[in-house]
Amino acid sequence: MSTAEKRQSNGEAEEDDDDDDGDGHGLDAWERTYTDERSWEALQEDESGLLRPIDNKIIHHAQYRRRLRSLSTTAARIQKGLIRFLYIVVDLSRAASEMDFRPSRMVVIVKHVEAFVREFFDRNPLSQIGLVTIKDGVAHSLTELGGSPESHIKALMGKMECSGDSSLQNALNLVQGYLDQIPSYGHREVLILCSALSTCDPGDIMETIKQCKKSKIRCSVIGLSAEMFICKHLCQETGGIYSVAMDEVHFKELMLEHAPPPPAIAEFAIANLIKMGFPQRVAEGSISICSCHKEAKVGDGYICPRCKARVCELPTECRVCGLTLVSSPHLARSYHHLFPIVPFDEVSPRQNVLHHRPPKTCFGCQQSLLNPGNKPSLCVACPKCKQYFCIDCDIIYMRACITAQAVTALDIHSQSPLMKNEEYCCRLLCFPAAIRL
Amino acid sequence: MKFQIEDVTVYFPYDNIYPEQYSYMVELKRALDAKGHCLLEMPTGTGKTIALLSLITSYSLSKPQRQVKLIYCTRTVHEMEKTLAELKLLHNYQIKHLGPAAGILAIGLSSRKNLCVNPTVLAAENRDSVDAACRKLTASWVRALAAENPNVPTCEFFENYERAASAAVLPPGVYTLQDLRAYGREKGWCPYFLARHMVQFANVVVYSYQYLLDPKVAGIISKEMQKESVVVFDEAHNIDNVCIEALSVSVRSKTLDGASRNLSRINQEIERFKATDAGRLRAEYNRLVEGLAQRGNLAATDTWLANPALPDDILKEAVPGNIRRAEHFLHVLRRLVQYLRGRLDTENVEKESPISFVASLNTHAGIDQKTLKFCYDRLHSLMLTLEITDTDEFLHIQTICDFATLVGTYSRGFSIIIEPFDERMPHIPDPVLQLSCHDASLAIKPVFDRFQSVVITSGTLSPIDLYPRLLNFHPVVSRSFTMSLTRDCICPMVLTRGSDQLPVSTKFDMRSDPGVARNYGKLLVEMVSVVPDGIVCFFVSYSYMDGIINSWNETGVLKEIMQHKLVFIETQDVVETTLALDNYRRACDCGRGAVFFSVARGKVAEGIDFDRHYGRLVIMFGIPFQYTLSKILIARLEYLRDTFQIKEGDFLTFDALRQAAQCVGRVIRSKADYGMMIFADKRYSRHDKRSKLPGWILSHLRDANLNLSTDMALHIAREFLRKMAQPYDKTGTGGRKTLLSQEDLEKMAENGVQEMLF
Repeated sequence: MSTAEKRQSNGEAEEDDDDDDGDGHGLDAWERTYTDERSWEALQEDESGLLRPIDNKIIHHAQYRRRLRSLSTTAARIQKGLIRFLYIVVDLSRAASEMDFRPSRMVVIVKHVEAFVREFFDRNPLSQIGLVTIKDGVAHSLTELGGSPESHIKALMGKMECSGDSSLQNALNLVQGYLDQIPSYGHREVLILCSALSTCDPGDIMETIKQCKKSKIRCSVIGLSAEMFICKHLCQETGGIYSVAMDEVHFKELMLEHAPPPPAIAEFAIANLIKMGFPQRVAEGSISICSCHKEAKVGDGYICPRCKARVCELPTECRVCGLTLVSSPHLARSYHHLFPIVPFDEVSPRQNVLHHRPPKTCFGCQQSLLNPGNKPSLCVACPKCKQYFCIDCDIIYMRACITAQAVTALDIHSQSPLMKNEEYCCRLLCFPAAIRL
Repeated sequence: MKFQIEDVTVYFPYDNIYPEQYSYMVELKRALDAKGHCLLEMPTGTGKTIALLSLITSYSLSKPQRQVKLIYCTRTVHEMEKTLAELKLLHNYQIKHLGPAAGILAIGLSSRKNLCVNPTVLAAENRDSVDAACRKLTASWVRALAAENPNVPTCEFFENYERAASAAVLPPGVYTLQDLRAYGREKGWCPYFLARHMVQFANVVVYSYQYLLDPKVAGIISKEMQKESVVVFDEAHNIDNVCIEALSVSVRSKTLDGASRNLSRINQEIERFKATDAGRLRAEYNRLVEGLAQRGNLAATDTWLANPALPDDILKEAVPGNIRRAEHFLHVLRRLVQYLRGRLDTENVEKESPISFVASLNTHAGIDQKTLKFCYDRLHSLMLTLEITDTDEFLHIQTICDFATLVGTYSRGFSIIIEPFDERMPHIPDPVLQLSCHDASLAIKPVFDRFQSVVITSGTLSPIDLYPRLLNFHPVVSRSFTMSLTRDCICPMVLTRGSDQLPVSTKFDMRSDPGVARNYGKLLVEMVSVVPDGIVCFFVSYSYMDGIINSWNETGVLKEIMQHKLVFIETQDVVETTLALDNYRRACDCGRGAVFFSVARGKVAEGIDFDRHYGRLVIMFGIPFQYTLSKILIARLEYLRDTFQIKEGDFLTFDALRQAAQCVGRVIRSKADYGMMIFADKRYSRHDKRSKLPGWILSHLRDANLNLSTDMALHIAREFLRKMAQPYDKTGTGGRKTLLSQEDLEKMAENGVQEMLF
């Protein structure tokens, strides 16, 4: 009993660590023995027969660069779907009770769905989420599309049990039924968190996939155990992303990848004007009946500018007149997705040697850029000032810069007087600014 | 891309080449230069076929003074089509770069069943009846009859082809079977006879093994091939068995009954001819006096099967006097059938050499060796004389004559084994007389002798030094290549213990142990829950599979498996198995997941690919040794020991391991694919067994994975599948270069070939 609790709390502690350094490598080996009893699995034999800890770092870095590259190829001023209607399908079939993720797949999923939902609304204030679960071969709608993170999380926490088979087709059918009613400006998306390795369907799933494609629903799947053909097929057909999680940290990363808005496919998104209202805050201390909870509340609310109904949270749709209610900061926060920052160029070790002698240390952290054994490792260079950085620094800057959108939106190179001093990299300059924000 | 290998400019239709393909070409080129035979092993999925085709075609383009003809032998029609499709791609590329001078003629040749376009003939269900139906329309006497009486049906395609005579040629190009049919339809010419005619002129001929190895067929089809040809046997790991089968005959009592029926039918025909057209029989007699060598004068449509023994031996001699007359020959055959029937009616298993068999035949039935030798040709000639067209009815008597000729011709390398019942079912009398060939080199010898270069290649030829001994030839090059991979996409494991740490094996004394069956069941149950989509399981034999599935059914293992995946089983019935495979694929496609139970050495193990999601895991339950109590196997082992000094144990292990490698090799068909292989038997961990696996499997078999129990295997499987599901770079990163571009190759040529990656 107590061990389970301990494990749980340890898991959370680990997650906190992740927030700090992003990769979960902050744990020392002795700490790891407590979070995971199978410490021997973290060892592998190298060519000479010595035992070494598994070096996931290289894999993680390669993945990170790949992701960045795929982002930058599409970075050229593309239309992004800012108003998203996302259904998260959580697979709570028998397979979700497996223990290969600690304490169980289900707990891990739920935990990260919670984090994801918050992150999602942070990034996409104009969007809505709905939750669907699959259990015993049947898909249930847990919550309807809505803009309040709390209600979703609460609903999901109340449904923590798993049994039976999984059925992809049932889930898709259900979601498709809901998403078909969405107005054309909205982006229809499904994110399936699939722990099962088989799906028991009542009919021809290929037909369902075709229909999803026809209704322009973008389906993405995150698998928890292995690659399944049907999931891959589904994602390919509907333009989504299919990925499989290696471990919990990786799973979290994969989830969060779905938080920024995806590029809008030209034929999917028809640009048109949307009517929005910017409600006023309710005067402090006034009592009114709110339209969302149907009860009298004091203060802390907003009033729809068209019908004067009171709502508790923004953004939302007015229950009375159906107007989309947002606040201007919401719009501003969605804005940065349209202007992605330019990523650093990758410098392959070989090219490194050929051209000119590269600097031996990272410009950011001053750590050596050479791997043990004097082999040059992967590093990156700023496209403007040509300084070299290690991947770890790149990851930090990338994150910081996204948060510091206001700074990056300015073209520092041309405007900032500080840039006269060529000692600093342009990206470094904005970094402290980001921290200040 | 275009590059130089020594003095040959190779035209390769793709922009990049794998390093092993390059080394393969280098070795092949050296073999061609040396005008010798070679033996090359390269894993499947590395583009063996295209490397081979592009080197050999480029070789003849670069050296116009040495025109090399390529004879490419495949095992199945499907492979034939695939090869021709690759060749077409290559040909288009060469035409684009060299202009029409590079034009070649390449055709596929198959049986009438695959090439015929006449709808009435195609209506027949099997190969023999299609052949017979064709003959009914095209035999020379039928056509002569039709010339007088327009009501006699003939084949219009064949008539058109005959009318066009020498004008009926194919323009240069690559023709798949389908193209041939389309061309035949368009022109109104018979594609089969057109293809057979064009074989002599084609630069590349793709056909089945039998056309070269089975002397019955080889005599007609491959007679005309010139010496400067390169013969390629693709997927040749079983070539010794094909050779042996081509020269083995088995006679059952059903065959004898059928033969008696055939004989009385022939007798009636002879009586009829005597009454109506006695001249024909007399003409035949005269022809036989002059010898069979004149057979070449017969019309192309009238030949159907040549002599089962090797050519040249027989054709020079005249037919012995005692079977020149039709009635006398018939008497000889009757006595032969009678004698065989007497021999079949025995209580004990008998084994005899051909010499003593012929001697006893001589004393009991009065048929001497020379007479026997000519049986097949004599029958052939008689049936032509009697104008018999429904040859599919006469298969039984042909088998008997086939047997007689082989017994009469060979005294070494064969034995005759009579078994009154099947060993496994001693209560049911099913007598069978088998003439079994032990020496694979007999059938392939003429091929080695006649052609300048013979290339034997496959994904699994390990151990590579055994093949030259079995086939009795001296290769100038024998190499085994490994696969260069960007990631470790195969994961072989040896599972020696179950989850309860008890050893698992299909060894004879452990086979019936319930613990083994339980552990195997447990392994599968665990695996179905972690492996997505398709799993293929191979068992050592049908009887073992039946037994273990029964016990799984009783203990509820099967039910547990069904919770995760559907179960399909291979049976001896081809239609049933095809259906099962079809549904297996569907279950894998739609995400339900499926397990396929199959048998090593079965149809599925040989010919069906389980690539991509159709096979993420293959489990080999046990080592597929041959049935060692089989009389034929014992006789063959004795012969191999005496003649080629190959130890029994060595041969058995070699044979079992190549089957196992063949089975597990089904899962990976390209470099982008990935799959796991579990060898579930404790004996695989022993060095003598393991070392006989092909190099490309061994190189991925880590020491840590040699002695696993179920739970460890499960863990490795989980990790492996997660790792493989991650996206990856196809070109390879860092120092491991797995795709070479044209510049890379040029650089390599400058630095000298010594610095190659192997």
